[in-house]
Amino acid sequence: MSTLDIHNVYKAYGSVEVLHGVSLNIKDGEFVALVGPSGCGKSTLLRMIAGLEDITAGDIVIGDRIVNDVAPKNRNVAMVFQNYALYPHMNVRDNMGFPLRQRRMPKAEIERRVNDAARILGLEPLLERKPRALSGGQRQRVAMGRAIVREPNVFLFDEPLSNLDAKLRVQMRSEIKELHQRLGITTVYVTHDQIEAMTLADRVVVMNGGIIEQEGPPLELYDKPASRFVAAFIGSPPMNFLEGEIADGAVLVLADGTRLQLPAGRQYRRAHVTVGVRPEHFELHETGWPATVSVIEPTGSETQITARMAGQIVRILVRGRTLVMPGEVIHLQVRSELLHIFEDEVARGSRVLHLQEKQYA
Amino acid sequence: MTSIASPILKRRSGRLGHKVRIAAGVIVSLIFLFPIYWMVLTSLKQPVDIFTTPPTFFFEPTIATYVEYFRRADISRRLINTIIVAAGSGVLSIIVGSMAGYALARVRIRGATTMGLLILLSRGVPPIALAVPMFLVARKLGLTDKHITLILAYCTFLIPYVMWLMRSFFISLPRELEESAMIDGCSRYGAFLKIIVPISLPGLLSTLIFSMILAWEELLFALVLTNRYASTIPVAIAGIAGDTINGANWGALTAVGTITVVPVVIFALLVQKWLIRGLADGATKG
Ligand SMILES: Nc1ncnc2c1ncn2[C@@H]1O[C@H](COP(=O)(O)OP(=O)(O)OP(=O)(O)O)[C@@H](O)[C@H]1O
Ligand SMILES: [Mg+2]
Repeated sequence: MSTLDIHNVYKAYGSVEVLHGVSLNIKDGEFVALVGPSGCGKSTLLRMIAGLEDITAGDIVIGDRIVNDVAPKNRNVAMVFQNYALYPHMNVRDNMGFPLRQRRMPKAEIERRVNDAARILGLEPLLERKPRALSGGQRQRVAMGRAIVREPNVFLFDEPLSNLDAKLRVQMRSEIKELHQRLGITTVYVTHDQIEAMTLADRVVVMNGGIIEQEGPPLELYDKPASRFVAAFIGSPPMNFLEGEIADGAVLVLADGTRLQLPAGRQYRRAHVTVGVRPEHFELHETGWPATVSVIEPTGSETQITARMAGQIVRILVRGRTLVMPGEVIHLQVRSELLHIFEDEVARGSRVLHLQEKQYA
Repeated sequence: MTSIASPILKRRSGRLGHKVRIAAGVIVSLIFLFPIYWMVLTSLKQPVDIFTTPPTFFFEPTIATYVEYFRRADISRRLINTIIVAAGSGVLSIIVGSMAGYALARVRIRGATTMGLLILLSRGVPPIALAVPMFLVARKLGLTDKHITLILAYCTFLIPYVMWLMRSFFISLPRELEESAMIDGCSRYGAFLKIIVPISLPGLLSTLIFSMILAWEELLFALVLTNRYASTIPVAIAGIAGDTINGANWGALTAVGTITVVPVVIFALLVQKWLIRGLADGATKG
């Protein structure tokens, strides 16, 4: 177990720079999830921590040792790959024992650790099987077993669940969480599934185009997204965005001329803003922003309403059931502290101004 | 889409298609096997039966030609030479070639592909253009008529062959296997030996077999670089065929030809399982 510090790390493949100065300090025992769209550099960063990619600039520190030039085998990290990378010619027992045999651990100790891991992961009946005779979920467990027998300083996961079906993914997700709580090993977990990141991690790091867009505890990212990008990325179904011009102090004029009243009493630095509302934060009232219902999707516990507002599609999530019918005009209100206003057009690096202490819309 | 449609299609065309395929297979096999069959047949004939027109399929077989040629020490010695040279060059080229192929497949070197292509291109040079300089070099080094000379000479074309075949085999393996091994405590070399080589064994073996067959049949370099001591079977066949004084001895030619082919066939049958697996499953996923 150990801390992991990433200081201003850059990565370039030839002349193409893919990481532009990433810094991250991970506490001992912390579970950090890296999320972001495809190609944003999550795997690259993880592979640099593992020592599989050179570091173009910056430092990676595990514990109190700079590991920039340390071979992967000497970093004492364990990694679980998306395709599991089980050694096909070895049975489950040998697969899990491999890292220990490489370290010339005594046979009895290897035996003990492999059996322990097998018990924790429910792999005992499968120890003599070859990987090809295992299901996807079982392979995934073996890959985890091979990582935990090491008792490494840092665990690295690169989308370990993305090859599993939805149900198994949810099950393995809680197994990973339980495992982390039990072992308390510093973990970096890459995923493009924001739900996975939110549910597993102590801290979520949202990456975009080779930089860290925002980092923080899961609910902080949900409540206070620092940019439109993060707002769009975190939360499901995603946040609704309404773009328009500010007029008369607190009126948002949408592209088609529709005027929406915004909470009064704040200054806007720019005329062009984006207002973001999470689907679950809309409330149906007698008055408010008008929208025409197009689709109703009840799931029992909640109902998702798709509606058109000023030529734009908005999604509304209401608890329980609703009597609203398609074609009907509804009126939406949002509590002002739940309204997100993004003042910059560019998604990245923009600042958000929360209306924490403001009144109603 | 096809996965839904195919069971129906398969059932409809199943029986007929299967028969047609078997028939085609038999015909093609016959076309390829007939010359070998004829060679073996001829080798078992008395000299008088060889030239009858029309050719006979029924005759009293004799192994006289074999006995005669095996009595001559040089055929059995040549057989041993051929085995030594084929095995030596096969093994050497598989070791060097597979490592080179691995480097080309995995290690990020600038111009690796160009390098690979150049090595492959070197095979485009007509062997005859290499044979004479090779002979001169071998003579200067006092290496003519030695097994090692032929082994090294064969490596010049076997290594590129092995390298190129194994390169594409290694590329088909998921990179994460070695990366995982390297995180688990191996150096890159260790990952290659402990993970990649065992996984690639079928591919390595089939490539080894093909290399050995290529070396087994090689004539030109053997002709130029050896004369008595290290001479191989193909040289003997060429000698019999090109005997301008006595005329070609067809009985001898086909007998020695059969001796050349039989070990290859036996060997191929023995390792058939490996051969097919090596050719069929390039990627060893999971
Ligand atoms: N070997 C390489 N050579 C050149 N560019 C590369 C190489 N590996 C990755 N890249 C580039 O680096 C960027 C980041 O890749 P990376 O694999 O880290 O993305 P990712 O965030 O893991 O995406 P995904 O969610 O699809 O796995 C991509 O634009 C990719 O094209
Ligand atoms: Mg990735």
